[in-house]
Amino acid sequence: MANFNIDAKKEKVYDAIVIGSGISGGWAAKELCEKGLKTLVLERGRIVEHVVDYPTMNLDPWDMELRGGLTPEEKEKHYKNIRSGWVGKDTEHFWADDAANPYTETKPFLWLRGHQMGGRSLLWGKQTYRWSDLDFEANAKDGNGVDWPIRYKDIKPWYTYVEKFAGISGEAMNLPQLPDSHFLPPMEMNCVEKHIKGRIEKEFSDRNMIIGRCAHLTQPHNGRGQCQNRNRCSRGCPYGAYFSSNAVTLPPANASGNLTIRPYSIVQSLIYDEAKEKVTGVRIIDSETNEAIEYSSKIIFVNASTLSTTQILLNSKSSRFENGLGNDSGELGHNLMDHTYRVGAMGKVAGFDDKYYKGRRPNGIYIPRYVNIDENSKSDKFVRGFGFQGEGFRGGNPANIESFGADYKDSILKPGPWEFFITGFAECLPYHDNQVTLNGDVLDKWGQPTLSIDAEFKANEKALNKQIQEDAVEMLQKVGLKDILGFDKEHPPGYGVHEMGTARMGRDPKTSVLNDFNQVHAAKNVFVTDGACMTSSSCVNPSLTYMALTARAANHAVSELKKLNF
Amino acid sequence: MERRKALQRTGLLAGAAVIMPSLLSLFQSCKTESRLDWQPAFLKEEEVKTISALLDMILPRTETPGALDVKADMFIDKVFAETYDITGQKNIRAEIATFNADCKKNFGAIFTDLNEADRTKVLQEAETTSEKFNPGIWGVSLGKQKPIGFYRSMKSMAIWAYFTSEEMGKKVLSYDPIPGNYDPCKPLSGVGNRWSL
Repeated sequence: MANFNIDAKKEKVYDAIVIGSGISGGWAAKELCEKGLKTLVLERGRIVEHVVDYPTMNLDPWDMELRGGLTPEEKEKHYKNIRSGWVGKDTEHFWADDAANPYTETKPFLWLRGHQMGGRSLLWGKQTYRWSDLDFEANAKDGNGVDWPIRYKDIKPWYTYVEKFAGISGEAMNLPQLPDSHFLPPMEMNCVEKHIKGRIEKEFSDRNMIIGRCAHLTQPHNGRGQCQNRNRCSRGCPYGAYFSSNAVTLPPANASGNLTIRPYSIVQSLIYDEAKEKVTGVRIIDSETNEAIEYSSKIIFVNASTLSTTQILLNSKSSRFENGLGNDSGELGHNLMDHTYRVGAMGKVAGFDDKYYKGRRPNGIYIPRYVNIDENSKSDKFVRGFGFQGEGFRGGNPANIESFGADYKDSILKPGPWEFFITGFAECLPYHDNQVTLNGDVLDKWGQPTLSIDAEFKANEKALNKQIQEDAVEMLQKVGLKDILGFDKEHPPGYGVHEMGTARMGRDPKTSVLNDFNQVHAAKNVFVTDGACMTSSSCVNPSLTYMALTARAANHAVSELKKLNF
Repeated sequence: MERRKALQRTGLLAGAAVIMPSLLSLFQSCKTESRLDWQPAFLKEEEVKTISALLDMILPRTETPGALDVKADMFIDKVFAETYDITGQKNIRAEIATFNADCKKNFGAIFTDLNEADRTKVLQEAETTSEKFNPGIWGVSLGKQKPIGFYRSMKSMAIWAYFTSEEMGKKVLSYDPIPGNYDPCKPLSGVGNRWSL
């Protein structure tokens, strides 16, 4: 790949500015650059070039000095990230510095960030599912939040568009609540998963168990290699086999000749011109030199990640927008959502001791939503629903076996017992009082106000979680698992890393921040297409929807620009 | 990788060149095999001897290497030295001391001075009385984890150090850094030992 153009010194004027280079920012950059717009991508962190900047991608445990262990200093740097259970020496360099970037948990909330080119597209879970009208109509039907200004038919062609380029593997099932993507061949279930699928679908006529749909290539695609089943994705994939901005969207943006990406650029605020009634540019702080610089453009895409995007908008104050840019409705910062996480059941599976697998498949199984999908499946305990992810594998903990010595040692060289778990992801309602606010009392390393996060799961989410656990235990019992453990980690929001809302789309400028094409109602040359735009949260992983919304909005932006509407 | 090798060499050199006064006394007092030929970064002699003896009891050499063959004790010392904070280090010292104090109380001597039969009794007792690890998914343990005592913590650490050693990971366990395809269901006999990665 050609080196990225990072020279933003001379040129201060662009056609488009994209703030952030994660999943949605990368898509915005690709679409805008390929449509001929001179585009400046402002990235808060450093450049991470595909393959070149993946230092741990090929390391075995013994190649790492502490075999993945972190020093007390590294733990301190990631004192919040570390709660997730995901941070080790192999990925430490892709997690943001919690100490330099503080936030305040008015109520417990885990905010996981990736401050580098590619953002969290390097670290994400890669589960990719389309949303359906069950999701887009949910608010209108049960009266929570405001109505989405779009329906499935509006986004459907854009799902197909991004899927064809990104490469999504999965099996077509024709389920109305989980529409099929444009699929590459599915990954395969192992013997235990196939067995359990058969039993679950026999015992529960309303349920399906499918292989996870995911942004991993199961065959070569657009010049990228297929998945090698190493399961070292979060270190960066040398084959470019999973979707990341670094491997997939930024290289073609760069190849267009229209991309400038400026690293170490903390966006302080957007510049609003009252006479023109639009945003004319952005103010940044260079994180290395502390220099303040302004860039201007005709259109701005704000893709800093849900809460960072809203932080920038809240901090963009002017006499027209005293409470933050586009905040006429008073909804900016509100309606924060996440999926509930780590609630489900696990158990041991007998009868497959002579079976094993080869390869570390970076994907599991999925049980699509089956509650509240029609009149027959209506619950009287809660609105909305949940789906399950899960996996069968040979696990066990040899340290728990009550034995030691020669025979014990020889026995643990063999794989442990088969285990299987399912863990639910429940939809969270959009509550006005789940919110973030600017905090001028706690400043970051660059003297900027930080966020206070005040959000919690409420009665509906708790009822969903209760049902998740009961159903999970029941399913594992019915399929004949042993030593079944129901669990609920009672995680506060944030752990699902599906933070959504705080600058929602809607039909009415009085109750929403963005319109049906993700434009700020009162500053239409500003687009927000990351998780901040979401009006409800579905129970389904959101990243694919961000990709589709971004491509759709970029297409709209360019057509409006051509009509000289900006 | 090069850095790691360099550090290993430095460690060995330091161990060979520097004989601390405290280590001299260890050499003089030791009755059996427990001469230290390396310089611990964190553990003191009695602590190292205790850990090493435990590791050797749990994962002894058979037809395959034992924990000490793959220098699991050296690695665990390094883990204490470089990944534990001050409180963690204080705690692990206290736990080793308590373990030895219990050995003394129940069997009349610290662990390394006990005979094989008494050592076995100590471990059998620890196996049956100590709490177990809860299962976990995605990097976090499930349910409310009861405090894991010194013995099973050490056992768990020993297994980690053992399985993640290069010798075990590449030569004894089944090693396949780039599997390529995913074979979802194959006879265990076609693989043998557990996958190392």
